Amino acid sequence: MNDFAHLAVTRASLDNCVKCTICETQCPVMAVTSKFPGPKYIGPQAERFRNGESVDHSLDYCSGCGICTLSCPQGVQIAELNAQARAVMKEDHMPLRDQLVSRTTVMGALMTPVAPLANGALRIKPLRKIVQAIVGIHEDAPMPVANGRTFEAWFNKRPKRTTPAPRGALVFFHGCAGEYFEVETSIKSVEVLEHIGYEVLVPKQGCCGLAQQSNGLFDTATKAVLKLCDELTSAGKDLTIISSSGSCTGMLKHEAHEIMGVDDSRLKDVGTRIRDISEFLLELHDQGELPEDFQRIEQVVPYHAPCQLKSQGMGLPVIPLLELIPGLTVVESGANCCGIAGTYGLKKEKYEIAQAVGKPLFDMVKATNEGLAVCDTETCRWQIRKGTGVQVEHPVWLIHKAYGLS
Amino acid sequence: MSTPHVVVIGSGLAGLTAAHRLMAGGARVTLVTKGLGGLQLSQGTIDVLGYAPGRVERPLESLASLPAEHPYRTIGAEAVATALGYLTDVVVDDLLAGEAAQNVWLPTAVGAVRPTALAQPSMLGGQCVRGARFVIVGPKQLKDFHPALIAGNLARTDLPDGGRLDARPASFDLPGRDHEVDSSGLTYARALDDPAFRARFAAAVKPLVEPGESVGLPGILGLKDRNAWRALQDLIGHPIFEIPLPPPSVPGMRLNETLTNGLKAARARFILGSKVVGFAADGDVLRSVTLGEAGRQVVIAADAFVLAAGGFESGALDMDSYGVVTDTIFGLPLVGLDAPLIHGDYWGAAQPVFAAGVAVDSSMRVLDGDRVVYANLRAAGGVLAGAQRWQELSGDGIAAASAVIAADSILGGRA
Ligand SMILES: Cc1cc2nc3c(=O)[nH]c(=O)nc-3n(C[C@H](O)[C@H](O)[C@H](O)COP(=O)(O)OP(=O)(O)OC[C@H]3O[C@@H](n4cnc5c(N)ncnc54)[C@H](O)[C@@H]3O)c2cc1C
Ligand code: SF4
Ligand code: SF4
Repeated sequence: MNDFAHLAVTRASLDNCVKCTICETQCPVMAVTSKFPGPKYIGPQAERFRNGESVDHSLDYCSGCGICTLSCPQGVQIAELNAQARAVMKEDHMPLRDQLVSRTTVMGALMTPVAPLANGALRIKPLRKIVQAIVGIHEDAPMPVANGRTFEAWFNKRPKRTTPAPRGALVFFHGCAGEYFEVETSIKSVEVLEHIGYEVLVPKQGCCGLAQQSNGLFDTATKAVLKLCDELTSAGKDLTIISSSGSCTGMLKHEAHEIMGVDDSRLKDVGTRIRDISEFLLELHDQGELPEDFQRIEQVVPYHAPCQLKSQGMGLPVIPLLELIPGLTVVESGANCCGIAGTYGLKKEKYEIAQAVGKPLFDMVKATNEGLAVCDTETCRWQIRKGTGVQVEHPVWLIHKAYGLS
Repeated sequence: MSTPHVVVIGSGLAGLTAAHRLMAGGARVTLVTKGLGGLQLSQGTIDVLGYAPGRVERPLESLASLPAEHPYRTIGAEAVATALGYLTDVVVDDLLAGEAAQNVWLPTAVGAVRPTALAQPSMLGGQCVRGARFVIVGPKQLKDFHPALIAGNLARTDLPDGGRLDARPASFDLPGRDHEVDSSGLTYARALDDPAFRARFAAAVKPLVEPGESVGLPGILGLKDRNAWRALQDLIGHPIFEIPLPPPSVPGMRLNETLTNGLKAARARFILGSKVVGFAADGDVLRSVTLGEAGRQVVIAADAFVLAAGGFESGALDMDSYGVVTDTIFGLPLVGLDAPLIHGDYWGAAQPVFAAGVAVDSSMRVLDGDRVVYANLRAAGGVLAGAQRWQELSGDGIAAASAVIAADSILGGRA
């Protein structure tokens, strides 16, 4: 049973709600569908009436994007309340689909050795129709493209570093997507960090459990996140941990603690040591320690900051970072969410909503791109690629290029 | 100082205005804010002074007669005029009209007649003057807009110019989307950004209007498209005007988005969703604030700081169960705390507690008696002591003007 979700202290924050409607104006789901009554109603208002059973199942339409919590001036943890209530609501009848999409490592590991086959299979319409009918993943939903090699395989096959790293060691956390699907982003991140003088350590590591958390599977997610903390710490106790997986970073920084109530010194330790790669590089710049011998890139690049990155409350480090590159102009999407919100937009009953949420963003990217858009989180990139046909990559690709590494 | 780095705390009208002014003056700005500020709870107008305590016609001329401890006495009429001019001409581009010196009288969502200094051009057709002829029209599926209530109250009100106006209600059927029967104004505003929906809306309104009438519509006439209301007016073929609704206030959102987007475009660093949880100082110099980000605390050092975190309504000031009032951010000395802070007469006189806050000198530096607390800290907006903002309708003007003074005095090298 999800004890924390039942008893959560997050509940206490509901009394701070002054019914100002600020969260409602920002909720991306409420904006596009009348099926979802919005954060104020489904969060602090409905929570008063919950005692185990949820009074209103429209709760399931909350995508968990966290934009409401971010915008609330009164500190109500709306998205967290919703996530806990959903975990309780679905406790005894979790759909097979929600269990499946949340097992990112399993999906990735199964697909990698047979990548061409898996990619082919996911693109075959009749097969996707069957998948939709049986497990409820929408036939048109964006799916990851499995890579022929894993990041780990690349990392382990490289010649070892022979010169000492002048800036010392960092730990790299690649996340499941960075291991199996978005392998290039992981590689480029490591190469950038090495280029500026760090030794990069990559301990063997599993999944952070984010997808399970967002689907209400708190027990499995808790085990996963703690195991990951041990693995990341095994590389060195006080080292800074860097990740280019925007949403998984958020899971370690705050979501595991705030949503699932994981109160463990290992998580606390890792949560304070982990940095998003752009956050880290911008910090170096602010301290005057980032090498800025960037090559010119004469380009306008649309940038979408994923909801789960914004939720980390650090602003948008990508914009000032990328604009250190001469010639580069970044245009912020201004969209609160791309619609996918982790695994939300894959589900057949949410697919249309997720597409509608993404529409203004897709239009913006189509109108402003010159062949490339950037975004920090994997699933969002899949969603934007699918919605626009434009190449969408992690911002570190541009840093990598500007350092002359690609 | 070459390029000063300034941390602004809060993204209400005060924080946003200060940040704009600082950026325009060449400072590097980091704006940190726990959540969105109060602008989208406002009417989307800029009030200077509405009641003192009687109706105020010419607000700038009335400032000098306010009590000595009122923030306007320190701010002064000139700064108010500068700030409002700055907002209108430089920052919000065609979103505000009017002048600080002269109030206009506009209808509210309950049909009261309300004074304000600057209003959105889409509202100005609703000026409540003798002989005006209004038809108040709204879609039945919109919540919080009741034409009969508004028209009835307007028609029975003695106007500031001594006359009366004519107002009658009308309504029509047009859901904001799907089959929704209680849509918020925001749902309609988003729909009205779309020319096709606008045409249907106009077609429903047009037959309800008689020659010579101005059409009072809910304040929902477009969110992103700033000319939506003009397009609608052309389609309807009669003068129209917007009446702001209770939150979510679409006119307030327009102001908030314009100010926020402008700052982002100017490349201020905008950190939303994190609270200031601590600070460090050396004697009378503030060195840094500490931000409670996800997972860890981040120290942001700066040359100067603007406290624009609002008052009780935003949690910047707090009263505990013993009645002790504190500034939750810097623990600054507060004034206005003598006498009983709260009296039991709910509908009676203003509650003294709402006038509590910090005292400041003429460059908005916070004072402890006669002593400046931190030489490089300025305060602006709802945190300033001495005003009953919501009752006087003075909060906007205080926020904008104190923000401009704070910014200018930092830029003037007096940080
Ligand atoms: C019910 C009511 C009605 C009113 N009606 C009117 C009216 O009709 N006319 C009028 O002129 N005035 C009115 N006022 C007053 C007016 O709303 C305020 O004076 C004005 O909005 C203050 O603006 P501000 O920028 O100072 O603060 P706010 O808009 O309150 O913004 C404060 C900001 O600070 C942030 N913040 C707070 N604490 C922290 C922290 N620890 N760390 C980081 N950020 C923090 C908040 O998130 C917020 O963004 C009314 C007030 C109330 C309460
Ligand atoms: S923004 Fe916060 S205080 Fe306002 S309605 Fe939403 S939960 Fe309540
Ligand atoms: S988490 Fe996102 S979808 Fe859910 S209520 Fe909040 S803003 Fe809306």
